Amino acid sequence: MRKSKAFKKKIMRIVSAIFIFFSVPSYADFSDNLRVSLDGSARLNNNIAENNTSRIYALGLDTHKVFSSANGDIGYAVGQLYLTKLSNQTPYSSLFNSPDDKQFVIREAHLNYTAGPQWLPNIRVGHFTLPFGLEASIDTNGRLLDYYHGKKLGTKLDWGVGFNKVLSQVQYEFSYTMGGKNEPKTINSSYVFSGRIGSLSHLDFIIGLSFLDAKIDNIQRKRFAIDWQYYWQTWGLLGEIAFGKDDKFQKEWQEEKYSLLELNKTSINEQLKFYGQYIFTDREGESKNQQLINLGVRYQIDAEFELSLSSRKQLNTPESGKKQNLIRLQLRYRY
Amino acid sequence: MKIIIILTLLLFSLQYSHADAYCSLRDPVAQIQQLYPQKTNQRSIVKTVDSSTRNLVKLALPSNDLHFSELGRHTLYVAMKNTQALGYVHVRSEQSKWGLVEIIWALDKDLKIKDFTFQRCRSPKKKILDNEDFRNVFIGKSYEELKTLLSSDGKTANKILLDRAKGAPELASVVLRCALKTLLITDLLWGEELKKFNP
Repeated sequence: MRKSKAFKKKIMRIVSAIFIFFSVPSYADFSDNLRVSLDGSARLNNNIAENNTSRIYALGLDTHKVFSSANGDIGYAVGQLYLTKLSNQTPYSSLFNSPDDKQFVIREAHLNYTAGPQWLPNIRVGHFTLPFGLEASIDTNGRLLDYYHGKKLGTKLDWGVGFNKVLSQVQYEFSYTMGGKNEPKTINSSYVFSGRIGSLSHLDFIIGLSFLDAKIDNIQRKRFAIDWQYYWQTWGLLGEIAFGKDDKFQKEWQEEKYSLLELNKTSINEQLKFYGQYIFTDREGESKNQQLINLGVRYQIDAEFELSLSSRKQLNTPESGKKQNLIRLQLRYRY
Repeated sequence: MKIIIILTLLLFSLQYSHADAYCSLRDPVAQIQQLYPQKTNQRSIVKTVDSSTRNLVKLALPSNDLHFSELGRHTLYVAMKNTQALGYVHVRSEQSKWGLVEIIWALDKDLKIKDFTFQRCRSPKKKILDNEDFRNVFIGKSYEELKTLLSSDGKTANKILLDRAKGAPELASVVLRCALKTLLITDLLWGEELKKFNP
């Protein structure tokens, strides 16, 4: 409870600081080059394997502000603060204290300084998505479609500093973050060093190489990955192969292999998107690998409303005997 | 209580939204560099394309409409060489049978087409841009001049452009519609503010 209050105070300070920063008259009008959206969603999860139905509600503000001077842009800030309420959610994220808890959650909150000379990388500071794999170039925040960043790496977002740049043929991002996940601090010597270098993200064929060296939740992780995206007309074929090792018990490294393959199809007006994912995970020390299938559809009703449905099924029977079987439905509204 | 006040103040600045979260926004840095190799930086000017803009487009270009992703807050980039403006860059999408085609337009300070390139085009005919004959129809043209290339249906390109499109008539019409909407919307929304860069 005390931890929760302290965290809320911290959030208040951050929000107040951002608000005051934006309000400084030298940056002209408050609304100059500012994007602000109200973003709300209601998600229904039917976990058939566990015979449990839960709901997750989120309401927040998504903001983006570009700072400029007479010479051009200096950089930009992204701030996403959400009040998130769980209802009978099990298992629940470490951000929450119970299956019915509610918390203020910071998703992305960072500044990216872009005004350096051509040879100098942009500098990002704050809470951002780890530059690793497919998720680094495809944003899935607030969506059912996911590339399993958090599950593979220990967290999806973290507080720290990063260096990034788009060059004429390649783009890269490297970051050093504290491993505190939603809190800007190190916990038990936690850290995350990660990076990705890839071809330009607007092309029809994109390929990237990533690495990660981290200690989060007292688990040491090392990963290398290759990811790719290929688009042909309204079809997309995406994939990621990662291999590495985890050390949960100090000097007992266990190898892990992970791969994701996705085929998606978008309607020509981009309102409808279907996707199917096959996810394979093999961990040393576990007698069976894990094979999952994700099928989903996303319907963008108009600029504000989006309806999504996804179904996740496990193909092989795990040691526990219970195959994953989850159906999720989400309505999202952005204004 | 404090957070309610702050959220209320922020809510006053709500504008037309964008379907994707803002952390997914990417500036077309590599393409701006390609269109303006001498630029040292770019300056963003964000404006709102709303239903009144949409109605003005429908009025000026009957039979045309804006895709829902074209509504909301959009950025025009001023390509800068130190403190001097070299020209403008505007990215717009146009629906096609291959999904959305996104074109990056470089405009001069008189709002004429200087150059253009595809940000995203999944048509098998996208090499049309390598055809100088086709490109040259657009380069140096204003909105009024390009509008004469529309056929009587108001959506497809006329024979002058199609003769140069060599086997890619649908994509040629997509590029033309995108050019017209880009020039029109740039003038409607950014025209007044851009005057300071072209005294």
